[in-house]
Amino acid sequence: MKNISLVFIIIIVFSTFSFAGGPWPQQKGKGYFKLSEWWIVFDQHFTDQGLIDPNVTTGIFNTSLYAEYGITDRFTTILNAPLLSRNFMNNLRSATTEDIIVAGEAINRLGDIDLGFKYGLTKPGAKIPIALSLILGLPTGTPVAGELNNLQTGDGEFNQIIQIDAGRGFNIGKTPAYISAYTGFNNRTKDFSEEFRYGVEFGLGLLNRELWITSKLNAVESFKNGATAETVTSTSIFANNSEFSSIAFEASYYVTKKVGISAGVAGAFRGEIIAAAPSYSVGVFLDLSR
Amino acid sequence: MKNISLFFIGFLLTFTSCVGDDFLEDFVNESLRITSSIDSIEINTTFQFEKMFLNNIGQEETANVTWSSSNTDIIEIDQNGLATAKQKGAATISVEFETDTQTLKDEVTVVVGETTVLTQNRIEGRVETTTFYDLAGDFVYYEDGDKILLEFGEDYIASNRLPGLYVYLSNNKNSVAGAFEIGKVTTFRGAHTYELEGIGFNDYKHIVYFCKPFNVKVGDGTIQE
Repeated sequence: MKNISLVFIIIIVFSTFSFAGGPWPQQKGKGYFKLSEWWIVFDQHFTDQGLIDPNVTTGIFNTSLYAEYGITDRFTTILNAPLLSRNFMNNLRSATTEDIIVAGEAINRLGDIDLGFKYGLTKPGAKIPIALSLILGLPTGTPVAGELNNLQTGDGEFNQIIQIDAGRGFNIGKTPAYISAYTGFNNRTKDFSEEFRYGVEFGLGLLNRELWITSKLNAVESFKNGATAETVTSTSIFANNSEFSSIAFEASYYVTKKVGISAGVAGAFRGEIIAAAPSYSVGVFLDLSR
Repeated sequence: MKNISLFFIGFLLTFTSCVGDDFLEDFVNESLRITSSIDSIEINTTFQFEKMFLNNIGQEETANVTWSSSNTDIIEIDQNGLATAKQKGAATISVEFETDTQTLKDEVTVVVGETTVLTQNRIEGRVETTTFYDLAGDFVYYEDGDKILLEFGEDYIASNRLPGLYVYLSNNKNSVAGAFEIGKVTTFRGAHTYELEGIGFNDYKHIVYFCKPFNVKVGDGTIQE
């Protein structure tokens, strides 16, 4: 059983759901590339009973490269690489003496890289496109670091997510819009619990498609079939069996025909062993599909 | 190219936060107590009394205390806490310390008899959660010969979902600074016992459950006020 603390669960929750969204593969030779900064700072979390408890202030900052590239019109490869992941925890000081009780720490490392493959089960231009994705969460991050072994930029285990997406584009008046939904299964190694994932996404293209507003509802239900502190006697720290429902909003604005900027916010409104705070992201993207 | 480099450097610096400070409310009242546990002292022998002064965060500090006996004909005590049993009877041994703001005092009544009898202490209590994680259970903290034992009963339960739950003995129920770490919690339901070494029975006031990865207290129980 590898380590996983609250820290990494947050990374999983709020970052990978930007991954491989929608049932629309890239056209052959086209692509979408994005450099983004995603971050969360939180001092409370959802407990195993879904209630909110405090924790020492913890922060995660990921500088990531996201890329989609169409190998064929129906087959797209996807990469989500946190090139620099910073994880920190504050000093815990006595309010009486101001002496440090537990020293804060920070690490800057590579995060866990996701590699994905999306295949369009329907022909391009289908009224209701459907796509199947395989996402491999590679354990390239650092699962244990710091004096107390409670910092990490990865969970040390290998995720294998099978996901199916379906959606439809339509117009609201003259405004283009789309809606998509997905469901998936995450098979995990090293005694981590498997997960059932699902969500819906709605997007609206404004200003002659120069501004896209998207909202997402994502959820993870744990099978709770992995290890707990009761079944693992090692001294490693970990949390497992986390689950949540989250909502996210993102705005993407095309500054030029192909280059744009984006900003987003996301947060769990229900959860177990998960941060109770919003996360934010900003990015610059290049969209070669337009 | 230079502009692009500056952009990315600025981009990274903007979102690279420094380690800040969280503050824990850990004030406690200063206290002074006699930590020696003795029922009677054998006549014409000596006994070394020990004391402990705890500051306003529950940490032990040295203190120039004053020892006294209510009846020096029965027990005489010097300023190092060394008592001499002179004749049969009972006397109250007191220790005092004047801080900047108050006078602290503790006392015990001791009998002088045929033999020296050390107290076999036994305290019953209960740990309770202070969070929204399950933690509860009755405990008995007691001496068995030379051993100090902390025993939990069948009603004990603790959440197994917390990473890195540890149990401590502390003199500050909000903090584990300077606390005695008993160990990582490995039993989450039912009876179990910790055998404690390297401490005195009266050295600590509280049992504290603390989650190391989150740096937060999860629950506590009181051994002595």
